[in-house]
Amino acid sequence: MMFYGILKKEFLLIFRDIHALFVLFLMPTLFITIMSLALQNTFKDTIAIHNIALKTTQNDDTKELLKGLNEGGFARYNFANEDNRDLLYKQGFDAIVLLDDNFRSKIKQNTKDPILKIYSKADLSKQSLYIIQSDLIKSISKSISKEFYIQHQVDASSLESLEDLIEFEYIHKNRYDSKKPTSPEQSLSSWLIFSIFFILIPISNTFINERNFGTLSRIKSTNTPIYYIVLGKLVPYFIINQIQVVAMFLLAIYLLPIFGLEKLHLNDSIHLLAISSFAISFGAISFGLLIANISKTTEEATTMGGTLNIIFAALSGIMVPKFIMPESMQQIGSFSPMSWGLDSFLEILVYGGSFEDIYLKLTYLFLFGIICLFLATTILKRRL
Amino acid sequence: MSIVIKNLCKSYGDNLILDHLSLEIKEGSIFGLLGPNGAGKTTLISILNTLTKKDRGEVYIDGLSIDLNIDQIKAISSYVPQEYAFYPNLSVYENLEFFALLYGIKRENLKDTIIEVASFCSLERYLNKRALHFSGGVKRRLNIAIGLLNSPKILYLDEPTVGIDPHSRRYILDVIKKINRDLNTTIIYTSHYMDELEYICDNFAILDDKKIIYQADIKTLKDSHNKKSLEEMFLEITKKSLRD
Repeated sequence: MMFYGILKKEFLLIFRDIHALFVLFLMPTLFITIMSLALQNTFKDTIAIHNIALKTTQNDDTKELLKGLNEGGFARYNFANEDNRDLLYKQGFDAIVLLDDNFRSKIKQNTKDPILKIYSKADLSKQSLYIIQSDLIKSISKSISKEFYIQHQVDASSLESLEDLIEFEYIHKNRYDSKKPTSPEQSLSSWLIFSIFFILIPISNTFINERNFGTLSRIKSTNTPIYYIVLGKLVPYFIINQIQVVAMFLLAIYLLPIFGLEKLHLNDSIHLLAISSFAISFGAISFGLLIANISKTTEEATTMGGTLNIIFAALSGIMVPKFIMPESMQQIGSFSPMSWGLDSFLEILVYGGSFEDIYLKLTYLFLFGIICLFLATTILKRRL
Repeated sequence: MSIVIKNLCKSYGDNLILDHLSLEIKEGSIFGLLGPNGAGKTTLISILNTLTKKDRGEVYIDGLSIDLNIDQIKAISSYVPQEYAFYPNLSVYENLEFFALLYGIKRENLKDTIIEVASFCSLERYLNKRALHFSGGVKRRLNIAIGLLNSPKILYLDEPTVGIDPHSRRYILDVIKKINRDLNTTIIYTSHYMDELEYICDNFAILDDKKIIYQADIKTLKDSHNKKSLEEMFLEITKKSLRD
């Protein structure tokens, strides 16, 4: 009955705290939706379209070349009558390609003079530039090869569509279906973990108020064992975290497709996701209890805990994907508890990993939770 | 005797708080504990209430040694701190239910116990209202009501009337008298309001310089000091110097 009373009290306090509900439910809903929408092109077949101005002589040959370039799907090429650099910032082009009017004869003569010059906006990525270069080389080569095939009466129809003969397939660790990574998988994993760790805000608010207003002393004076007090925080917040996880997965499965995003498929991984969310939640709550115990005021806990959470998130690849970080940053990030959680979720959702692929990260999270919980309980015993 | 203390000592690090303090409190009395700020009143009450461990000395609560019978002592005593030690976002009923469950009150007696303590402190009409927006007086009454849930033999009240208006103060003092009279509860009461102590206490002690420097019943004290006010006498006994 004593423990029932503690659980009931904690649930009533959480569900009556509008700020806690905002942080735990509305914040991840918004983050997951916004970030999934923002990242959808990164994971779709269609990629960012660039506007490219092609300055060259306009004739049948270059019109054919332009057509070939536009078939690439990466950029929209248009003829430009001038090579004015204002095209970039005033007329909305991302790059200007100057193609020598005599490019064909220069290539045939094997001259060393440049036949192409590209001007681009300062923020055009290296990857985009490589793709533009590749598009140009491919189209020019194709055009020259075509002339060669015609001259030598070669049937080049199969060679022309060589790209169509290349197949590509994503391979998952333990699944044999071919499935592309989707933006909801990435956003859900990242921002759900971020919000699970923000459980420290309601934990520290209730806990510090209980301590500072003498309620904890009063509870202790009623012969309530200290482990009941600690479990009385762990259990309800653990349940809240699990409600959070289920709610966000339902969002990704049923709500995000309404916005045109890919539906999240769980396949046979529900048990692995459940184990991972248990470990992440245990780590997050224990960390929250530690912050609550070492802080004197709610303001101190919110500032310290919030800052640490943001640092954990930045290091773990939640805010900036890990694969674009330098190796040294990735190594530092691998010490963040959020990173262990994120790697587990991505391993399951994106790579189709099994328990063997995630158990080490979950063990780290569990150990992290045990250490935080031990420290929190020790400090609580000394303070009470 | 309800409480017997012999040569009680307590330090925090090198800071000696209580130095061979001895005191006896009669069963069924309202006992006032006076003392300047930092005199050690809260530490003494925390030790009696088993929240803080003593260093040396003997303490008996209702004949039970504090060294051997912590659980029994907790069961017969109750502590009402100076702060509003309850949950503002819970209703009066929910607060009382929570603490009643912690005190181990059985489910079948729960509602009756809650109604009983609520009516004792005139909280019936607030039962389903959240404590957040209550006046200071109602909050103080709820604070005391929680302390009555386990029908304690000994009730520790730490400045229970701080920050409330005179009408509410008088009401609370009458509630405390009623608890003492109707439930035969021994009450240990600390306050800086001397008129309150004069109004409700039978006996009192002044704690200063780490020990009890004066103990008497109110009437004897007044007679021996030419019927001066208790505040005048307190300042005289504690030498009128400023304490931080």
